[in-house]
Amino acid sequence: MDKDTFRRLELLNQLKLTETEKADAFAFFGSREKERLALDKIDTSSVERMVHVMPIMTVVREDVAVQKFSREALQQGAPETDEGYWCVPRVVE
Amino acid sequence: MKIYSSKLDKKSDKAIVVDDMLLTVDMPTSAGSKMLDGYMSLFEAEAITRLKANGYDIVGKADVGEFSFDLLGETSCNGAIVKDGKLCNASAEILKADEAVATVNLEVNGTVIRAAAQNDLCAVKPTYGTVSRYGTVPVACSGECVSVMSRNASVCREVLGVIAGHDDKDGTSLPEPYEYTSGVRRVAFLKSMTQGIDGEISEKLSSFKATLEKNGVEVCELDDEVICLSNIAWNILMSSELCNNVSRYDGVKYGHRAESFSGIDELYTNSRTEAFGELLKKTILFGSDNLSTENYMKVYDKALRIRRVISEAFAKIFGEFDAALMPACSTLSYGEDYLQSNKDAAFTENFYTAPASITGLPAVAVGGIQLIGKAFSDMMLLEAAELCEKEGK
Repeated sequence: MDKDTFRRLELLNQLKLTETEKADAFAFFGSREKERLALDKIDTSSVERMVHVMPIMTVVREDVAVQKFSREALQQGAPETDEGYWCVPRVVE
Repeated sequence: MKIYSSKLDKKSDKAIVVDDMLLTVDMPTSAGSKMLDGYMSLFEAEAITRLKANGYDIVGKADVGEFSFDLLGETSCNGAIVKDGKLCNASAEILKADEAVATVNLEVNGTVIRAAAQNDLCAVKPTYGTVSRYGTVPVACSGECVSVMSRNASVCREVLGVIAGHDDKDGTSLPEPYEYTSGVRRVAFLKSMTQGIDGEISEKLSSFKATLEKNGVEVCELDDEVICLSNIAWNILMSSELCNNVSRYDGVKYGHRAESFSGIDELYTNSRTEAFGELLKKTILFGSDNLSTENYMKVYDKALRIRRVISEAFAKIFGEFDAALMPACSTLSYGEDYLQSNKDAAFTENFYTAPASITGLPAVAVGGIQLIGKAFSDMMLLEAAELCEKEGK
């Protein structure tokens, strides 16, 4: 893991780590990479990926529009609202 | 340091405490994170609805580690619970104090099985898809399960019987009826899974083995090196799923919002950076790296294939045996300073719990050890747990 890749990951995930956290994360990445090498010893070229542990597919429900919660209820936990809208900083300069 | 994240002023002889990963409408749900501190859900978890419909009273919520994938809950935004110099788990403390008949928890990375094993309690992580995950805070959806912990196996069985069953609202809920198996006759003792355990756990395993044999169950030693790779693959899958699941927390519609920001990007970054803890941040970055174009095939795709290899290894074992016996943790307690020398303990101590997490197989912790069985053997594993409990009395 180089510093540029790490910075790219921070940007992608909207995070900014302190220098101490970065050093710890680098060590963490190193340990995970070291243990991952054990997986390479298993030949999985003829093994199918297992996405679901049980033979289930996502159930497709009837496409019926329902108003489960009111706008007011949905905005109860919002950090900032104004006349039914969620407030964010200006996005168009 | 908090045992309850919320508590209702209710007394009941059918009191249940749920952990803070299950949504409730009368108490906040924080998932142990500053990001969701004080968050009130508009709907409740299906497991809670079913418990209430069957006469149980939800009397409070147990604190959890941030998004519940740590060792015992030590990464909670409320701090770790430490008693007599040892790390404790909130749900286990509630049960030990006899404040509830059972706790219902979201098992993501072995916390529930580990806590039960270390506190002489019983816990069942059911077959994936048999208990609805509707209304739980999502972390690692392909493996997490709503689980039950109690002071004894019979209560676990009763509560599991109430919350299990198909739910249309959960896309991964299995169709009913579930054909639960019963009767333990042959158990495989997975010797390869005993690496790293201390003397006390070793004694617990020997004692459980002896109890099974005394009750006419044949126990055979087995070595399976592939199963030992479970936590490496699970760490990859869990982190990748977690990275996606927590991407929704941005400080806009709900959750923590930073006070200081100059634009929308800084609002997102500052809110997430302030609210998320250290373990969560590095796990998000690790998961994101696994899903990157460079690593997707080499790491994430490989882990999915390894998941099948492990599942097939278990299928082979369960062709001959009814259950697999193995440790649930390396030691019966973690000292306060354990995490200083084992910073990544959540990613290493899950060596013992990841086999059940990655395969979706049911697991039961009892008498300080763990039994894993084939799909739908949940009740049979609890029967074996009862044998152990009877022997203890």
